[in-house]
Amino acid sequence: MTLPSRTRRGAALAVALLGASLALTACSAGDTGTATGETRTVQADNGSVEIPAAPQRVATIGNTTLPFIDLGGSPVGVTAEADSDIERLSADQQETYRSATLLAASADEVDMEQLAALEPDLILVQIPDAEFESIEDELEAIAPTVFFGLDTEWKALADAVADAGNTTDALSAQKAEFEGLVTGIQEEYADLIANTTFVDVIRWSSSDPGTFAIADIGCSEIGRDEVGLNLPEAEEGADPLAWTALSFEQLGELSGYDVITYPVDAAGEPTEPFAPVVETNTWQSLPAVTSGHALGVFCPGNNSYGAVIQYLESLQDALASLPAAG
Amino acid sequence: MSGPRRRALGLGAGLLVLLILVVTSIAVGSTAIPLSVVWDALTHPSATIDEYAIRDYRVPRTIVGLVVGVALGLSGALIQALTRNPLADPGILGVHAGASFAVTAAVGFFGVRDVQGFLWFGFAGALVVTLMVLALGSTRQGSSPVVMVLAGVCVGAVLGGAREALQLTDPDAFDVIRAWNAGSIAGRSLDVVGPILPFVVIAVVLAFVAARPLNAMALGDDLAVAQGARLTRTRILAILAITLLAGGATAIAGPIGFVGLMVPHVARWIVGPDQRWIFAYSILLAPVLLLASDILGRLVLHPGEVPVGIVTAFLGAPVLIALVRRAKVSGL
Repeated sequence: MTLPSRTRRGAALAVALLGASLALTACSAGDTGTATGETRTVQADNGSVEIPAAPQRVATIGNTTLPFIDLGGSPVGVTAEADSDIERLSADQQETYRSATLLAASADEVDMEQLAALEPDLILVQIPDAEFESIEDELEAIAPTVFFGLDTEWKALADAVADAGNTTDALSAQKAEFEGLVTGIQEEYADLIANTTFVDVIRWSSSDPGTFAIADIGCSEIGRDEVGLNLPEAEEGADPLAWTALSFEQLGELSGYDVITYPVDAAGEPTEPFAPVVETNTWQSLPAVTSGHALGVFCPGNNSYGAVIQYLESLQDALASLPAAG
Repeated sequence: MSGPRRRALGLGAGLLVLLILVVTSIAVGSTAIPLSVVWDALTHPSATIDEYAIRDYRVPRTIVGLVVGVALGLSGALIQALTRNPLADPGILGVHAGASFAVTAAVGFFGVRDVQGFLWFGFAGALVVTLMVLALGSTRQGSSPVVMVLAGVCVGAVLGGAREALQLTDPDAFDVIRAWNAGSIAGRSLDVVGPILPFVVIAVVLAFVAARPLNAMALGDDLAVAQGARLTRTRILAILAITLLAGGATAIAGPIGFVGLMVPHVARWIVGPDQRWIFAYSILLAPVLLLASDILGRLVLHPGEVPVGIVTAFLGAPVLIALVRRAKVSGL
C-alpha cells in the first residue's frame, strides 16, 4: 500500500524534526559535562561547594592569585597584585599573571560583567569576610565559588587551592622540597639555632621616612615557626611587632641581637624601601653589621610553598655566609 | 610698663621657652640616651650609636621643626591679615592641596619615592596654585580677599579630588603618600631644609615689609588707601610670602594643619592687632607649638611615634571650637 504524497511529506518532516531534537539534546549534554556528574565537593569557609573535577578556567580574587600561580595554575582572571610582589615572581609566573584578565584593583571593585564574560568554571577567593559577603551571590551566579578567610594558615590555603584548582601534583612536590629544606637547615645549623638570638627587620614603601619595623610576620614567621630561629614575637593577643614603626634612632636597640636579617631583592641587594636603613651611620655601626652577622635574605612571600622555598634557600645561603664562631 | 616693652619682654620669655624646647627635642626621644652622651655628641663628637642618634636624627629633626614652625606660623598670620578672616590658614588658599597634588603626581608619574624628591614638586605645586588663586581672585577693581578665598577653596577642592583619584588608580602611589599626608618632621635630614631656607628668609623679609600696610588694610580698603597703603602691591607681597612659606613647609613636612590657624590667634591675644608684633610672635610661638607637639608625639605611643600633624590636629580641634564659640573672635 502506498501512502498519499501529502502524508509522505508529513512523515518525512516529523522524522527530520525528531532527528534534529535528538541531535540538539546530544550536543547540549556534551556542552554541560559537569551536568553529567564530573564534579566533586570541596570544603571551604563558605561551606561545601560543588566544583568541576578538573577546572579549566579558574578566576582568582584576592590572595588566591599568587598561590594558584605558584602551584602552576593559569588563572583567566585576577585582581591586581602589588608591583613589588609581581617583581619577585619568576619570569614565567610574571607572564602567567600578565596573561590573565585584570578584573579590578581590589575585590570590592570586581567588574562582574567582565568576570562573567570570561566564563570561569571556578572562582577562588580570599578576601575579608565582609567584602566576600557583599559579592558572594554575584560570584556564585557566575561560577562555583570557593572562599577562604584571611585567617587561613598558609599551608592550609595552599592545600585548599591545590585541591580546588586541581594542582595537587605540584603541591606534593613543593611540600617535599619544603620539608627537605627545613630539615636540612635544622640539622646543619642546630647549634646556631639553639644558641643565637635573631632579629628580622623590615621597611616598606609605605613606611614614614626615618622609620623601620621589627618583622614578626611574613617570612619571619617561617624562620621562627618552621626552622626554629629565636626571633622576637609579639605577646599573645597583642598586635604584631611589625605594625609598630620605629624611628631610625632606635636602630641602636638591635645591638642586643646576635644576628640581624634584613630584606634583599633577588640580586642580593637591600630592597629599595630598606636601602635608607643600611645607609645610616647607626646601622653601619651595629655590632652585628660590623662583624658580618647582618644577613640579607630574599623573601618573595610567605603564602605559598614556592615562595617559602625561595626564602628558605636564601636563608640557608645567608646562614652559610656567617663567620665561623671564634 | 609700656606696651612695646611688655611685648619685648614677652618675646624674650617666648624665646626662652623655645630654647628649652629645642634642648628637650634634642635630649628626649624614643630611645633613652643619657644627657652626658647628648652633651658629648654636640661638643665632642665620636662614632657611637647613641651619638649618631643625636646628630643624625634629633638635631636635624629639631632644626626642621624650627623652620617648618616659623613658616607655618608666619604664613597663617599673613593669610589671616590678608583675607581679614580670623579662621583662615595656609590651606584655605589651596596651598596644601597644590603641594599634595604635585607630590602625588611625582610619585605616580615620575616614580619619586623620597622626601628629597618631593621637595621641589611640592614647592612648585604650591606656587602654581597660589598664582592661579591670585589670578582668579583679581577683579577689575584689583584683587579681592573674598574672591581669593573662594578661588582657593575651589581650586583646593578640585586638586583634592584629583589627588584622591590618582591615589585610587595607583595603589603604590597611595602607599607612599599616605605617610607624607599625615604631616611629619621625622626622618627629614638637613638636605631638605637647606634648599628651602633661603626662600623662608626672603618670605620673612617680605612679610615684615607688608606688615605696616596690612595694619592699614585691616580698617578696610578705602581707609587703607587714604593712609597711603598700596593695596595691590601689598597683596602681591603677602601672597608671594605665603607661597614661599606654606609651600616650603608643606614640601618638607607634608600638610600640617592648625598651626597656621591657632598661633596667630594666640599672638593676637597677647599683643593686639599690630601685624608687626603678630608676625614676630607667630615666628616664635609656632615653632614652640610644633616642637612641643613633636616631642609629645615621640613619647605618647612609645615605642612608636605619632606624626606631628596628627598631634597638632588633636590640639587644634578643641582650640578651633573654642575660637568659633567665642562671643567675639579676636579681631584683625
